[in-house]
Amino acid sequence: MFNPDINDYQITSIVKECCGGVAVVYSALYKPSNQNVALKRYFVDKTKENANLIQQDILTRKELQHTNILPYLASFVNGRELYIVSPLMTFGSCRDILDGYFQEGLPELACAIVLRDVLLALQYLHKQLYIHRSIRASHVLIGANGVVRVSGLRSAASLMVRGRRQRQLHNLPPPDSDNSNLMWLSPELLEQNLKGYDERSDIYSVGVLSCELANGAVPFAEVPTTLMFTEKVRGSRPQLLDCSTFPEPCLDDSEMKSIYNTDSGVGDSADAVSRLRQVYTSRKLSDTFHHLSEMALQRDPEKRPTATQLLNHLFFKQIRRTDYLPGLIGRVKPIKPDPDDMSALLLQEQMADMDIEKTTEWDF
Amino acid sequence: MSIMDPRMCRKISSSESLPDVDNVEYEVSNIIAPQESDENFMLEGSPEPQSVTWLDDDQIDELDLNLEQTNLCFHRVDSADIIYRSKKKKFKMVGKYVMGDILGEGSYGKVKEMLDSESLCRRAVKILKKRKLRRIPNGEQNVQREIQLLRILRHKNVIELVDVMYNDEKQKMYLVMEFCVGVLQDMLESSPGKKFPQRQAHDYFTQLLDGLEYLHGQGVVHKDIKPGNLLLTLDQTLKITDFGVAEALDMFSPEDTCYTGQGSPAFQPPEIANGAEQFSGGKVDIWSSGVTLYNMTTGRYPFEGDNVYRLLEAIGRCEAIPPPISLGTSLCTLLTHMLNRDPALRPTVQEIRRHAWVQSRPAFEAGDRIVSPRSRRSDELHNSTVIPYLVERHYASAQEYFTERDLRHELGDGGSRTLSTAELSDGESSRRKHRWHSSCGRLPSCRLT
Repeated sequence: MFNPDINDYQITSIVKECCGGVAVVYSALYKPSNQNVALKRYFVDKTKENANLIQQDILTRKELQHTNILPYLASFVNGRELYIVSPLMTFGSCRDILDGYFQEGLPELACAIVLRDVLLALQYLHKQLYIHRSIRASHVLIGANGVVRVSGLRSAASLMVRGRRQRQLHNLPPPDSDNSNLMWLSPELLEQNLKGYDERSDIYSVGVLSCELANGAVPFAEVPTTLMFTEKVRGSRPQLLDCSTFPEPCLDDSEMKSIYNTDSGVGDSADAVSRLRQVYTSRKLSDTFHHLSEMALQRDPEKRPTATQLLNHLFFKQIRRTDYLPGLIGRVKPIKPDPDDMSALLLQEQMADMDIEKTTEWDF
Repeated sequence: MSIMDPRMCRKISSSESLPDVDNVEYEVSNIIAPQESDENFMLEGSPEPQSVTWLDDDQIDELDLNLEQTNLCFHRVDSADIIYRSKKKKFKMVGKYVMGDILGEGSYGKVKEMLDSESLCRRAVKILKKRKLRRIPNGEQNVQREIQLLRILRHKNVIELVDVMYNDEKQKMYLVMEFCVGVLQDMLESSPGKKFPQRQAHDYFTQLLDGLEYLHGQGVVHKDIKPGNLLLTLDQTLKITDFGVAEALDMFSPEDTCYTGQGSPAFQPPEIANGAEQFSGGKVDIWSSGVTLYNMTTGRYPFEGDNVYRLLEAIGRCEAIPPPISLGTSLCTLLTHMLNRDPALRPTVQEIRRHAWVQSRPAFEAGDRIVSPRSRRSDELHNSTVIPYLVERHYASAQEYFTERDLRHELGDGGSRTLSTAELSDGESSRRKHRWHSSCGRLPSCRLT
């Protein structure tokens, strides 16, 4: 067990800021057992409204136990802040990996392993009558031995409402700070009509995730939210980008550059975009990968396969038992907890200096 | 049995005309009625180009007023000469919200659907016009009170006020609320026997109790509980709405004494019907909830009268039409208890909760059919009405004109029906080129299937 006492944890580095600035994830050393853990620190004052979401996150994770779902180890309040202890996932989230090392997307085999493990997590969640509602690369974490774990359970919803099993839900998941979560959500969930949505909504998100992992870029990221909505409602599907879906335009380099200069606006340089184009047009993803993504992204939820059905898809047959995820993403540097990291040490001191009223256990 | 004038279910104080729901729907789906556009356009086929000025609602209102005073003069026009324009879903934003269709209309103004363009959450907006509000007794005051109360209240069964916006230039106020699919009143009116199966009524009544318990706990008396003020969300959550005549009691006073009653006649308790100068606020809500439960389970009202005065007389004498025995003794005792002439003898919310009928969920009986929210414009799923406006905004669309002959031709068998949202957008998607797709998709990662 992990003690609910900040003094038992030595912060070793800052992993990242998340949840729109209301939380920070640190790596820390749990002194009693000399174990590396992740420490998520919520600034409760800033979250006010979201306090019950954090509570929901903890309650849900306590209830669920699966290899591919990020477990909850402990939580406690220190001063005005809430800490949640989880295992340290040394390679970070798939979004971090894409941003830092694989802008053009992960290798297909790595995609297959990640998607398989996400589907295993969903298969379990759906059996427990939960809908995850925020499957996205930033909620898929990779640990030291290549274990893939799904996080982000704060937006999960149970189909059991007041002791009764619901056939469908109707409400949007709680909004995230920048509403980016909407890009992964299914058309029927966004529609908010009387038909509602069920666990097959998560399968659509897996489809969007497959494009995100393979393309590097998030589908719909560049269009206004309302257009993303109408596109999905009208049946427009994101797709995997390779030579079959992204044919080489008959333009020479300079012409292409000028197009992208005028079109891309601020942000990525035209060079980076044309480099990406070249990667897409010169690669070929397997037909089974395309098929899997198309199946998951069908407009009609009735036609979408379940997590169990998708796990039997041919696409996953390419995975051999010896395939090792960290090997496939070899260039990714794992988070190195450095006990001598000066900045981390400074931080630890600041936290110790904070006027700590009384350390109370977060009671759930 | 005398037939109740539905007017008696509405507030006494408002001199509004009754909105006809069907009419409203028809007006919106009507293919003619071009409005909300300032542009002029040519009438094709006219001997000489003629410009037509489109009027907005306000201007039409004014015109109506003027017409009442002046002599009317009609020009006869052959129907074949009329050129229709397909009702354009003109994209309009207020703040961050995209406007959709009209959901309902009241004396104060319209209720429209909206979409939060950032969170994509469906919303409803009550649009209040200062000019119209002034015509209603206590209008402005009631709105202020409603806003103040709703800002503080937060409960699953109380409507949430999400946002308030003002447009000083147009003298309009926008109250942005949670989106609801239906009003219990409308559902009752459209159901056989104008009532719900007991199981369904029980479901709503227990939620009403939850909401009332919260309100009374917060020292708020609603004073106008009735099926017309109970809304349902997509997931069948009941929401108490319309706090226009509600009252926040003095938190430090041990009594819940009220001095004014402005609720709807059919739901008023004897003490108000008899013109008492002061009365217990909480027990008014208990009485009205009793009338509501009576109405939901029988399709009738415990008190009836040919007009408001006869009705109030009947209530004042507390001559209730006893609930039919077919309801079962359990429900009958609850109803008579809640509709006790003496406010002090009426049960509290907590006492009602402990009543046998509330405690056990009634079973479905043979022939019971769940009443679902009335479908709007043949759309049983209650799809977002904002989508066609978004389609207009995001995809290039040509203005279309057609004549009645074209229309008859198109309808073929002469059946008149309106297109559903899905059909409209599908039709447009096949006809029109996608503006954004060709120009702004830097990485064309989407395709249409």
